[in-house]
Amino acid sequence: MPFGEKFALKYVGGRGFGAKILYDNLPHIKDPLGPENILVIAPGPLTGLYLPGAAKTHFISLAPLTGIYGDSNMGGNFGPELRQAGYDALVLTGRAETLSYLCIDDGDIQVVPAPELAGKGALDTERMVKEALRSEEVRVAAIGPAGEKLVRFATINCDWSRNSGRCGMGAVMGSKNLKAIALRGGRDLPVADPAALRLLTDKSLKDLANHPMFSFWQQQGLMSVVDYLNTAGGLPTRNFQQNVFEHADQIDGFKMEKEFKIGDTACFGCPMSCGNICLVKNGKYKGTITEGPEYESACTLGSNLGVSDFAAILKGNQLCDEFGIDTISAGVLIGTMIEAVETGLLSPSDVDGMKLEWGNSDQITQLLEKIAARDGVGDILAGGAKVVLEKWPQLTPILVHTKGMDQSAYDPRATISMALAYGTCDIGAHHTRAWTVGKELEAGAKWTDEDRVDIVIYHQTIRPLFDMLGVCRLPWIELGFDERRYAEYYSAVTGIPHTLDELLERSRALYDLTRLISTSRGISRKDDYPAPRMFDLPIKGGQYEGRVVDRSQYEELLSRYYQKRSWTEDGIPPESTANTFQDSLT
Amino acid sequence: MPKRLSVVPERCSGCRLCESVCALQHFGVSNPKKAAIRVIALYPHPVIRMPIVCRQCAHPKCRENCPTDAISVDNGVVRIDAEKCVSCRQCVVSCPFGAIFVHDDIPIPFKCDLCGGHPQCVEQCPKGALQYVPEHELGEANRVGSVLRYAHMKEVEYVEKGERKKLRYAQIGREQSE
Repeated sequence: MPFGEKFALKYVGGRGFGAKILYDNLPHIKDPLGPENILVIAPGPLTGLYLPGAAKTHFISLAPLTGIYGDSNMGGNFGPELRQAGYDALVLTGRAETLSYLCIDDGDIQVVPAPELAGKGALDTERMVKEALRSEEVRVAAIGPAGEKLVRFATINCDWSRNSGRCGMGAVMGSKNLKAIALRGGRDLPVADPAALRLLTDKSLKDLANHPMFSFWQQQGLMSVVDYLNTAGGLPTRNFQQNVFEHADQIDGFKMEKEFKIGDTACFGCPMSCGNICLVKNGKYKGTITEGPEYESACTLGSNLGVSDFAAILKGNQLCDEFGIDTISAGVLIGTMIEAVETGLLSPSDVDGMKLEWGNSDQITQLLEKIAARDGVGDILAGGAKVVLEKWPQLTPILVHTKGMDQSAYDPRATISMALAYGTCDIGAHHTRAWTVGKELEAGAKWTDEDRVDIVIYHQTIRPLFDMLGVCRLPWIELGFDERRYAEYYSAVTGIPHTLDELLERSRALYDLTRLISTSRGISRKDDYPAPRMFDLPIKGGQYEGRVVDRSQYEELLSRYYQKRSWTEDGIPPESTANTFQDSLT
Repeated sequence: MPKRLSVVPERCSGCRLCESVCALQHFGVSNPKKAAIRVIALYPHPVIRMPIVCRQCAHPKCRENCPTDAISVDNGVVRIDAEKCVSCRQCVVSCPFGAIFVHDDIPIPFKCDLCGGHPQCVEQCPKGALQYVPEHELGEANRVGSVLRYAHMKEVEYVEKGERKKLRYAQIGREQSE
């Protein structure tokens, strides 16, 4: 069905469309893994265009991992193809009778039963579906065995290793008996002023290429963050107990470049090519080939598990892609298990007799397999942080999560604004909405608490705007790409002049909507905190040794944050806000 | 001097900016499927990303197989004459590279015309995977590469005016390259 113009402009696209459609369907949804839940797959109005980073597509659903609003995006070529097939948003609901894949060929939709795909890895599935359709040029997003087994942090994978990683969107697909989605499309993408688009991007590509960090970025991509954070004293190590990893030089971007990297990959339309293709040429993981890791995986499967063998990280990364599980959630949960066994909070019999220890990559590989297969202790871990804590409440002080989502690999103890960012991120402890670590480390000494709140809210406004437009935020964050240019792009595409402020206003309003979805599921102030460890366990190692998040300062920041958003002291948006989202889609 | 569009697949990241700019240049639309260049990415075995684009063959198969003589080579560019073309797609299937394309919206097959000597895909490729080079340079990098691979390079380090330097040389007496 075609969307109305008013709707399209107000909600922009991507996460905007998804949140609104989810909100409208919310009264019917009981269980994130029930057939009644919906999965919205929505690229944005800039996705697929001649434009740097125009690759993103968003998956929006009531999240299996947290039970609240969830979204997660993937790059690669899936979003551009979906738009070319004629869809700005695909809404999936119900459940197929047998394991199936969806085949969308330029507007023609078919559900194809495919029981032969049961238990297959995400990459194998992509291959098999391409073979069945006899085309290398179709785009196939698939879940692995973990998605079928409803692992609550299962991913959706496309283009080898572009993942919709967080929130468990793969489990939503699994719950619908949907193994894969294959796409082919050839339609023109709507652009009101193609000449303006052409000029803007010719200039944008020059600006990016002229940035002094451009070629370094192409070489290492996000892997450069390992060395940066370790030097700054902020590289999560051994389940967030330490902030400096003594073997960081074994798992950083330089090590990767020197010994493992064999090529670059890029998402659609992006000159930055931050994807690294790595191959293990020697040793027991010889023959392991994967696109990755990027920073989060290098940390959560590396330093945070005490792993100093880069080849083992690549193996873990490859297994996570094939099984279809999130490297962050998996890494954080495994780290928690190792610490729990080491400190006696759990006994080896709780973890199937494994004598878990830091840096033991064989055990880590085995645990990843157990999670994907829901075997033994893996069945508990597969439930995510909430299920783990129900089973073992004694792990509360050591399991690093917010709202059931395991925290990303950025430590907030030296930068309290990042603690607030995690506490108030609408999907859980993820860095995607606001990442303020670098800014506060540089300039934080001069900040007032009001500045901190303003900066978190600004980031939670501009970053989700990228997620509404369907573009990647990295050109802006990493190479200083001027954010006002996105308003120029949106104006060229819609033919209606827009300022950045107007777009930011829409993004800011949308944050109220995602909050409303979550507060309707019981979220309130009590849930808006970083993990206990961030308040209680002083940083070990590095220049911020001894730092913790100050609890009373945090409470003040949180209250101030609610005031700025016009939410109640308990973090609930007022009735009048809810009324602004009652409009229709058409 | 004639120039050639040359592809270096090892450098291609698969970003498809070439496709986007080509479609805008030739058809004025944002539609990578209307580009006369297409990036094919294979993984994980073998891992390769490679832009497919017309080589402007001197003895083109497409011309050989065209039943209506619609294809000619004009100043180094293989062209399809819209007047003569009956859109039978023979050229599409006979091109050994698959570098002639079709689209429902476009009445005849289309292919690279080198943008009148300023190929935009080359201009916008962020990786140097597409190059527009004088014909005599084609293969030169490979020729030099072959020599370097063949020669068993040894290194000697020395100091000149206080600066450490390296000199490489081929070892005499080794017969086979690796």
